[in-house]
Amino acid sequence: MHSWRSRFAIRGAIGLVVVSAMVGACGGGTATEVPPGEQTGSLTVLDWSGYDAEDFWADFKATYPNVDVAFEFGISDADIYGKMKAGSQADIFHPYTGWLQFYVDEGLVAEIDTSKLTNWDAVPDSFKAIGQFDGKQYFIPWDWGFTSILYRTDKVEGEIDSWSALMDEAYDGHISMWDDGPAAVTVSSYIHGYDETAITEDQLAAIKQEWTDQASLNIAYWAAESDLVPLMQSGDAWVAYAWQGAYATLLGEGVPVAYADPKEGRNSWVGVYGISAASENHDLALKFLDQKLGELTGNNLVSLYYYGSANGDVMAGITDETLKEAFSVDDPSILENTNFTPNLTAEQRDAWTAMWAEVKASQ
Amino acid sequence: MILARRAGAPRDARSADPRRRTFWALALPPALALAVLLVAPLLFMAALSVRTDLSGTLLAPFAPTLKHYAQFLATPGFIRSLGISTLTALGVAAAATALAYPLAYFLAFRAGRRAAFYLVLLLVPFWTSYLLRVMAWKLMLGGEGAINSVLMWTGIVDEPISALLYNRGAVVVTLVYVWIPFAALPILAALGRVDVRLHDAAADLYATPFQQFRRVTLPLSLPGVIAAFLMVFIPTVGEYVTPLLVGGTSGTMYGNIIQDFFTRAANWPYGSALAMVMLAGTLVLVAVGLRLVSPRRLLDR
Repeated sequence: MHSWRSRFAIRGAIGLVVVSAMVGACGGGTATEVPPGEQTGSLTVLDWSGYDAEDFWADFKATYPNVDVAFEFGISDADIYGKMKAGSQADIFHPYTGWLQFYVDEGLVAEIDTSKLTNWDAVPDSFKAIGQFDGKQYFIPWDWGFTSILYRTDKVEGEIDSWSALMDEAYDGHISMWDDGPAAVTVSSYIHGYDETAITEDQLAAIKQEWTDQASLNIAYWAAESDLVPLMQSGDAWVAYAWQGAYATLLGEGVPVAYADPKEGRNSWVGVYGISAASENHDLALKFLDQKLGELTGNNLVSLYYYGSANGDVMAGITDETLKEAFSVDDPSILENTNFTPNLTAEQRDAWTAMWAEVKASQ
Repeated sequence: MILARRAGAPRDARSADPRRRTFWALALPPALALAVLLVAPLLFMAALSVRTDLSGTLLAPFAPTLKHYAQFLATPGFIRSLGISTLTALGVAAAATALAYPLAYFLAFRAGRRAAFYLVLLLVPFWTSYLLRVMAWKLMLGGEGAINSVLMWTGIVDEPISALLYNRGAVVVTLVYVWIPFAALPILAALGRVDVRLHDAAADLYATPFQQFRRVTLPLSLPGVIAAFLMVFIPTVGEYVTPLLVGGTSGTMYGNIIQDFFTRAANWPYGSALAMVMLAGTLVLVAVGLRLVSPRRLLDR
């Protein structure tokens, strides 16, 4: 598999050399772009499982059919960061808000020349800003969505309207929290009104106690969305910390579920793509990111995963009622009442993940 | 017996001895492979465990610190978890070895000409991936799983028992199941070396079948039993995949904590320190255990 791929890459590289030599001979030295249809080469994307589906890079596939795109997978933001830090060969990687600053601080991400992006104008400024550090664009925003409480309407009586449902003993043995320390800190902060960016030691101790007490209420923590969906579907879990994608999938399967509007506000996150500073395919990677922002890809993201696209035109074009419901596009207060995930510092990351490991070890 | 033979081998061989050359030709490739694939990564991990954090390049010089080891000692939850995982591994190893013994005994003495066929049957589970076999237990023990379905159908219970899956018990059951075929192999090898004429000799001396087993077969097979026990015990202390799949919140093992620091915390130095502690603890336990049991003494008897 690997040798096949590298052989392919070599063939691609030879092709590029031949083409550029011909262009150089004919055009008198002026660099001319290879037509997209003839562009060859290979790219490796470090992504979350599921995003390798061609639906999520449909524009690139259509425009550059001869470029070989390979995927590697990370199971969490920490995992993706660890892999990049350890010298992953990936050209492109897909982190989420909260974990962006580290890549910039450690020099793992290359600056992006947005003037080369044809779809950049369709991205709202508020999204562009998420990928900017020290006035430079390091990441392009791609997907966004909510985190809230997902629950089975046939098992839970009434409506869930608070994050504290995750600690409600009425659902003993049927709760599923995401296996993530910073997420636990976020939920506790919402419930108790802590400032998430300035958690004190006392608050962290209280948070640890709160989740230690909560642990036995879980049927299991979930690590990937593909763990959560069957848990909810089988009825083993009734109430869960969840992203919109799980809600979309379960609705599609006809499972009776609802996605709460907690009084403390939903959480919201943004996923971005960055180009590895070590990538030898920077220009091709940039083209991949540009096509990622294309309308077909954006529409697929919206209709298949119910996640928002960073392409504003895609969002403006949504007509489907279920989708409008999922994004709460008709509820003008929902975004005002949403808490965006702040960037973690290294100290917070280490303290909060260690806290969570202790919670898990306490059982 | 092998040990005794080695002890009695002539020791005056010179380097010109062609047997010594053969020894190096055979020993060097695996030694190199072990050095590159096992010793070097372990040393790298040991070095990582005394780093402050991951910032900077991985091979750059750094000021060593013991803060991760200090942090471990200051976290009773982790120490307790290491203890629980060790006990779990002892239990799993004991159960798997005990259950594997009759299996190996049957293959060695009772299967006769079909032994090879049964051995293949024993190894069939290895043809499927480890993950699939563990997932199969999820289907067995789950709320809508095989066991619950049968219980519901027969009317023994009215609603599914949720206590079957997502706890430490499920982890133990799954691990014992997974390890039985592995544990049977070294026991089978040891039983295969038992001279069957010893059974006749014991019978001639009016030993009952049970006495025969207790005084002849079992002692002779003990090296295999110990090997089987250790083969299960050592990897099980650090097990993390099985608890992840069937353990739920209460089945977390020490290996999961280590894994978390690598994949969910990006804190490799702390994860390395925790792994080094486990490695040291396991080595000490095995050394003490072997000293107590002393396979050499058992052999010489």
